[in-house]
Amino acid sequence: MNDQEQELFRDSLRHATVAHTAEALDAELDDLGWRDALRADRRAAVSTLFELQGRANATSSALDTVLATALGVDPASTAGVVLPPLGCCRPPGRVTAERLDVRGMGTAALGRHATAVVAAEVGQEQVTVVVDTAALELRPARGLDPTIGIVHVVGEGLGATTRSTTAPTAWTSAMARGQLALAHELVGASRTMLQLARDHALERIQFGRPIAAFQAVRHQLAESLVAIEEADAALGAAWDVGSPLDAAVAKAIGGRSARAVARHCQQVLAGIGFTTEHPFHRYVRRVLVLDGLLGDARSLTRELGEGLLRTRRLPSIPPL
Amino acid sequence: MELDAFRSSVDRWLDEHAAALSPDHPGMGTLDQQMAQLAKVKRLAYDAGWMRWGWPERVGGLGGSTLLRAYLGEALTARDLVESGIYSLTEVLAPTMIDYAPPELAAAMVPRLLRGDETWCQGFSEPGTGSNLAALSCRATLTDDEWRITGQKVWTSLAQYADRCVLLTRTGAPESAHRGITAIFVDMASPGITVRPLETMHGGAEFSEVFFDDVAVPVDRTLGEVGRGWSVAMDILPFERSTALWHRGAFLNRRLEQLLAAAAAGALAPAEVGEVFQQLYALRARSRATQHRLAAGQRLGPETSVDKILLATAEQGLFDLVGAGLAQDVLVGDDVSSERWRAELLYSRAATIYGGSAEIQRNIVARRMLDLGADR
Ligand SMILES: Cc1cc2nc3c(=O)[nH]c(=O)nc-3n(C[C@H](O)[C@H](O)[C@H](O)COP(=O)(O)OP(=O)(O)OC[C@H]3O[C@@H](n4cnc5c(N)ncnc54)[C@H](O)[C@@H]3O)c2cc1C
Repeated sequence: MNDQEQELFRDSLRHATVAHTAEALDAELDDLGWRDALRADRRAAVSTLFELQGRANATSSALDTVLATALGVDPASTAGVVLPPLGCCRPPGRVTAERLDVRGMGTAALGRHATAVVAAEVGQEQVTVVVDTAALELRPARGLDPTIGIVHVVGEGLGATTRSTTAPTAWTSAMARGQLALAHELVGASRTMLQLARDHALERIQFGRPIAAFQAVRHQLAESLVAIEEADAALGAAWDVGSPLDAAVAKAIGGRSARAVARHCQQVLAGIGFTTEHPFHRYVRRVLVLDGLLGDARSLTRELGEGLLRTRRLPSIPPL
Repeated sequence: MELDAFRSSVDRWLDEHAAALSPDHPGMGTLDQQMAQLAKVKRLAYDAGWMRWGWPERVGGLGGSTLLRAYLGEALTARDLVESGIYSLTEVLAPTMIDYAPPELAAAMVPRLLRGDETWCQGFSEPGTGSNLAALSCRATLTDDEWRITGQKVWTSLAQYADRCVLLTRTGAPESAHRGITAIFVDMASPGITVRPLETMHGGAEFSEVFFDDVAVPVDRTLGEVGRGWSVAMDILPFERSTALWHRGAFLNRRLEQLLAAAAAGALAPAEVGEVFQQLYALRARSRATQHRLAAGQRLGPETSVDKILLATAEQGLFDLVGAGLAQDVLVGDDVSSERWRAELLYSRAATIYGGSAEIQRNIVARRMLDLGADR
């Protein structure tokens, strides 16, 4: 996409994510040709949509599409993808004696698709299995963020509709792509939290002046912007380099940064931000859950450190 | 020359000349030794042409993208051939000369800095003026065709080695704040200048007090317009927060790798190692994007404060980890390697002070990037 096309694409996606969510947003994405964009320019399609989705607190089946594509499913056909359980990132399925057991999570979109892709281990090998979604037990996870629509997924002793052996790297690469997408969504949600807090700081008068005049408040907002820019920069480098390690680093930084932004902005919004009348709480809920999906910042960071201590060498870092 | 070609040619040259380029002293050396090493490396790199790439031809450069000189500094730092802080002073001061000095002056002077023939310093801070730079009072008065300068600077890095100084002076009324400042390029050998080195807490005397007693400077040494020195200063600071930070990031990555190699099993907490790696990764990513903006001809501004905040956080994070993982060396070690870890750990504490303190950077982000209005 050239700059102008990208701008147009971004504008239409912005309208779509602001006005629609869930199935309605999926329909809009189809109309706008987001799947084609994903095929033609994955980076532009993923970074633009997920950041906007995060900003708008919207949901869609885009994560399923990103993962399905990485697992070799044609992006033109729609399928849900079973996510690994919280904590990263073993495939959610296991095949023993030709029967498939599944234990994982799913996005709200999973139930809307007739078929679901399950990455599974068969001994040392990895396969992708396509199953009828109806054969899976989907239980809504009524947790911290009720509107994200995450479900628990369980399946026992299933027969597979189709089954194909995938390259050993397919699952790893699917996780990496999903991590980049979620990190963009975290950045988007963080930007809205900061915008809400900034607007409030300029409007709210205490001691005869806007609270934005107080340095403690200014520094919390500045800290938030730095955290967001940090996550955004890490994402840029991770796309350029394209390795799973880079994606995990970007996801971890995105999660940690969003948590910091949530903490600072909550403090600036104070009482009003603590009510459900103010939109802020939706974003706090959203970023905590997004941090948990496909590897939370704490686990990814610890695993990264364990890896570094094992090899005692730095992995190659983004060149100039 | 393209970056990729430059990278491989520089790398090859550094490999081939490793013996000639490497320091004669063990460990980090004294500041005198570091300065001699810096001059040697710059001289060799200049004569081989590498040091001239990325600088305009009108100041003795060979042209090409600014990314070339960012890479050279990275390569020299990553190979431990130069100390990144003193190397990068070139990146801070040469662009100012190029943008603000009369063209003949820039053409005559910049090559001497690039070639390592000369050292320059940056005279901004004064005893009464640190963060509040616009309140500086070192006075310059115009008489016929020369400036007469009287006043004092402090914490001026490398002033005791310096041949020249980019000096900020008060030329307007005392209360003229940022409107009455003029930048002047001063020969440090001028009569009336006294330099008194100050011992720093990390060892050695990296900076000095500089006293000016009716020092005469020709008026054609004025940088930019009279009374417009504030914009010179404001343009220097983004350089202090861009290419110099790219070099510093390369240094920190090397030290993290050396820490991983040196720390005993169990001495480092995995979560902390992971986080420091991520902080350095983010710094590098941000600084890299800044380098590409600079190379594309964009003007750098307040957004470089984000780069500086990331640097200070990452540098202190790394050396906190050093303090934990190499406690024995840092606290009671007496070999050259321990000495170096200790000095660098202490020096990392200055990262939130020099080039605009951590608080000043956050003030800039709040005011200029978030547009929060005045802070009163
Ligand atoms: C290693 C090193 C090298 C240096 N090299 C040079 C050099 O080459 N040339 C040069 O000119 N200077 C140099 N400096 C000086 C440096 O620029 C100053 O130390 C710095 O600008 C801070 O000024 P100050 O020390 O006077 O602190 P102050 O300005 O007195 O600040 C003291 C504390 O108050 C805080 N503070 C001040 N104003 C505000 C505010 N508005 N809001 C919130 N907090 C505030 C500061 O953040 C700081 O924590 C160097 C310093 C160091 C440590």
